[in-house]
Amino acid sequence: MSPSNLAIIATLAPAVAALLLLIVAPLRHKGAPAAWVTLLGSLVSLGSAIMLLVGRLGGAADVRVTTPWIQEAGHSMAEIGVLIDGVSVPMLIIVCLVALCVQLFSVAYMHDEPPRAYGRYFTLHAMFLFSMNIVVVSPNLLQLFAGWELVGLTSYLLIGFYFAKPSAAQAAVKAFWMTKLADMGFLFGLLVLFVATGSFEWTSTPSTQVATWVTALLFVAVIGKSAQFPLHIWLPDAMEGPTPVSALLHAATMVAAGVFLVVRADPLFAQAPATREVMLWVGTTTAVFAAGLALVQKDIKKVLAFSTASQLGYMVAALGAGQAFAGFFHLGTHAFFKALLFLAAGSVIHAVHSNSLEDMGGLRKKMPLTTAAFVIGALSLAGVPGFAGFFSKDLVLSSLEGKGNWIPWTLLMGSAFLTAFYMGRVVIKAFWGNESEKSSHAHESGIAMTGPLMVLAIPSLASGFLGGWLASQVKAEYHVHLGLTPIVASSMAILGIVAAIVVFGRGGKAPFTGVLEKLDTFSLVDRTWAGGYRIGLLGIASVAGWVDRYLIDGLMNFTGWATLEGGASARKLQTGMVRDYALMVVVGVVVLVLIGVLR
Amino acid sequence: MTLTSCLILAGAVMAIGIYGLVTRKQAVAMLLSVELMANAANMVFAAYGHFRGGPSAQVFVLFALAITVAEVAVGLALVMLLYRRHGDTTVDLASEARQ
Repeated sequence: MSPSNLAIIATLAPAVAALLLLIVAPLRHKGAPAAWVTLLGSLVSLGSAIMLLVGRLGGAADVRVTTPWIQEAGHSMAEIGVLIDGVSVPMLIIVCLVALCVQLFSVAYMHDEPPRAYGRYFTLHAMFLFSMNIVVVSPNLLQLFAGWELVGLTSYLLIGFYFAKPSAAQAAVKAFWMTKLADMGFLFGLLVLFVATGSFEWTSTPSTQVATWVTALLFVAVIGKSAQFPLHIWLPDAMEGPTPVSALLHAATMVAAGVFLVVRADPLFAQAPATREVMLWVGTTTAVFAAGLALVQKDIKKVLAFSTASQLGYMVAALGAGQAFAGFFHLGTHAFFKALLFLAAGSVIHAVHSNSLEDMGGLRKKMPLTTAAFVIGALSLAGVPGFAGFFSKDLVLSSLEGKGNWIPWTLLMGSAFLTAFYMGRVVIKAFWGNESEKSSHAHESGIAMTGPLMVLAIPSLASGFLGGWLASQVKAEYHVHLGLTPIVASSMAILGIVAAIVVFGRGGKAPFTGVLEKLDTFSLVDRTWAGGYRIGLLGIASVAGWVDRYLIDGLMNFTGWATLEGGASARKLQTGMVRDYALMVVVGVVVLVLIGVLR
Repeated sequence: MTLTSCLILAGAVMAIGIYGLVTRKQAVAMLLSVELMANAANMVFAAYGHFRGGPSAQVFVLFALAITVAEVAVGLALVMLLYRRHGDTTVDLASEARQ
């Protein structure tokens, strides 16, 4: 089969599954069949992706197959199709593999849901995989935007999966609004690009000024989707969704779409150094800020959520430094180990029926497989040498070395220490230490849940060694070297772990915990947005409401009132007296005659 | 007898008809006034036909007379109904349509 067909199958298989489940309601309502249909769709996708990968390994060239879209007066404004190259194929593998693992995990994890909810869950998963694959294979920015909005929609639906719970419904709406606000940037960026160049290609070469505008607008969308400061606030709330959803959407794939966009649009970003400078600082700020807040979270999922924002900050910083490959590499390894961490956390939550770290503890003996998986993920995230996260984080940090970027470099090094520190805290609190009342009844999850963990543990361990191959795919340079950065980075990781053992091993608290907790509970960024919403948006809304109520409605009401009043006064002419009518006829005739005579 | 004098006569008859229509309350009197007005118009037709030539005007007059007769029949029937209903033919009694 040709590569383009394979890519189309990989994209459409989940769409077929989703459509089938949407149309044939009994499949969805029974629950279990929906899971099978979705899994089959994902399996076909993964199979096609693997065949594409095999083709790439065999030296297949890049393929771009498109068909005209939005035709007008004989020429098309845009194209729709697939682009198979060194970026889309690895990404397709990551997305399909993680999605399949998460869906397999969900089969057991969501087992206690009512059949209808179970079916809805898997239908949404199929929709998500389709949407994400649209993003991955898109050959231009317009199709990418379509997929981008679709993943936003499925994210909203899945965060609000427990929609009967007010906090989940609120979190879903919050995520939708924040990302939609940012997506305005994408839309305007596309418009500016199209007006300036007449195409939606990321390879177009507009003037520097246009490129700066376009990339700045696109970056606004990235800030929203990839949860960068100051739009990161939706991500911790998004943890209201089921844990496997958090693993797939809000850790591994969807939030990485922002980074993927920048990797894709790298030729455009290369023309806009000013935007890159901003990206570097936004990414660094997020990495440090979110890592600090991750340190004081009491909910295991929120720790991981802030950690995701922090790691996405690393990727954005690398992209800002102009090293798209470093960001992409970290995206890939992060997808594996963060999905692993989330699924392991899901396994724990399933066992102790609580999200709170207080309710965990001492799980090491009860859940050895889950513990092993979580520890592998944590070590990878911390960047301990040999694990996947080490290689990619090292590359991100190396890309900042020298070039006068020493402030972000130092900050990210500090953040690397914090990463190891807060992951150490979670591991010690959840798996070591004393058993709580809830964790004493916990027991290891079944193979249906530990299986996907084991599958994901392999790339979390080993995917770091694929850096050279990935670099050759995207035509980037990649050298493993023993310089300043790897040494400092690995010592930061080990120092962080040691510090965590010293501090938390004895049940202590981290320094500055009080300050950070205050910062977390006060949530200045949230309040700023809420205030902006109240003053800005509600202000505009009240003005618009006044205009609508009193000017537009007023005009309508006046018309009705005038008609009624006019009718009431005209009714007085109708006396019912025959002689009055006769007189009126006569007067009318006289008037007509007078008009006739006078003109 | 000239056209002018005929028209003056027709105008006078018309004026009398209008006066009667506006001032009288009795349905029969009003009907008579209407008849006067109609005949004033017929007189104008006839006068023009006589002095300016052409038989078509005379034909119109004959048609108009026939229609007027029909109209009187309808009008008198209405007056009969009015009388049966109210025992009187004062038109002010027939104001139910207002409600």
